Amino acid sequence: MLMHTERMKQSKDPFEAAFEEQEDSPPESPADTAVDALQNPNSSIVAHNSQSQPQDQLQLPHDDNAKKGASQFTPLSGSGRTNASSSGPFTATTGAGGSGTGMKSKEEEEEEEEENMDVELGKFPSSGDPDKMAKMQAILSQFTEEQMSRYESFRRAGFQKSNMKRLLASITGTQKISVPMTIVVSGIAKMFVGEVVETARIVMQERKESGPIRPCHLREAYRRLKLEGKVFKRPMSRLFR
Amino acid sequence: MSSSGGGSSSKPRSASFQPSETSSKRKRGVFQKELQHMMYGFGDDPNPLPESVALMEDIVVEYVTELVHKAQDIGSQRGKLSVEDFLYLIRKDLPKLNRCTELLSMNEELKQARKVFESDEDKLRKVFEVDEPVE
Repeated sequence: MLMHTERMKQSKDPFEAAFEEQEDSPPESPADTAVDALQNPNSSIVAHNSQSQPQDQLQLPHDDNAKKGASQFTPLSGSGRTNASSSGPFTATTGAGGSGTGMKSKEEEEEEEEENMDVELGKFPSSGDPDKMAKMQAILSQFTEEQMSRYESFRRAGFQKSNMKRLLASITGTQKISVPMTIVVSGIAKMFVGEVVETARIVMQERKESGPIRPCHLREAYRRLKLEGKVFKRPMSRLFR
Repeated sequence: MSSSGGGSSSKPRSASFQPSETSSKRKRGVFQKELQHMMYGFGDDPNPLPESVALMEDIVVEYVTELVHKAQDIGSQRGKLSVEDFLYLIRKDLPKLNRCTELLSMNEELKQARKVFESDEDKLRKVFEVDEPVE
């Protein structure tokens, strides 16, 4: 409640709700250690949307070390009140290398928020665990400026419904695309972007590089995800492999 | 190292001048703006490289395409796609699955809320119409 009032009074709508909703997610989770080298000692949150079960998403070894002091918090996208046990640390790499300075202007994001309002539907936090919300707010209150801005981007960014609709229509060949379908696909796509970006960050860390993510990192990340079978479902029949 | 321009066609650097391409080819930079913010949120630089954004867009489009094709295979009996097909496809991926169910239930809630709001609004309007003088 408090968080939203101070930050998103502009549009009391799906987007804001999405923001609030995200805060319900299970706060527990520890921050990640694997990404240690990458981050500044003070501000490091590694973003990772994983879910309740430990064997999730990006199998980053973070799940259970709360090494990173004050700023860590857990998952959001997909935390789902459906899963009582929280999990899934949500960590956002602040990009030790290059991202220190330039922060996007908030106005930009707000405008975008207006446009993207329908993409992320959110629920008002009333249905979240008071526990989780309290933890979430405790964590959020300790964010640095940069972390907060990054978190804000994370919450608000989303694919435009119209664009997604068009894309889906072109793929399926002009079937009628229902609104829930765009919502679902947008959500899936967003999480997929998260997976790729996080894996790319890991790749960068392994190669001891810093700065903005380059296409080579993305390609490597994508390749790895494919190998792990996370990108596509494995083919159903393996009879003749 | 990174080869510049991860995609095949030349990619406009800013959203303002996108070459108009035929609909058969995917327009470049469709998701550019949103993707930039998204990548930043997930850990990239505040200003991601344009090549990276373009490549990411390609990856996402390919992913969605693949997803839709698979869903079509599954749902082909029904003859059209439904949300359940997608949910079935990501059933193994718990974070995504939970996220999707969350989004869908929120959608429902919002719809309900809007309905109530609209019916209330109608009532209010009627009350006002009685009072309104001719303007």
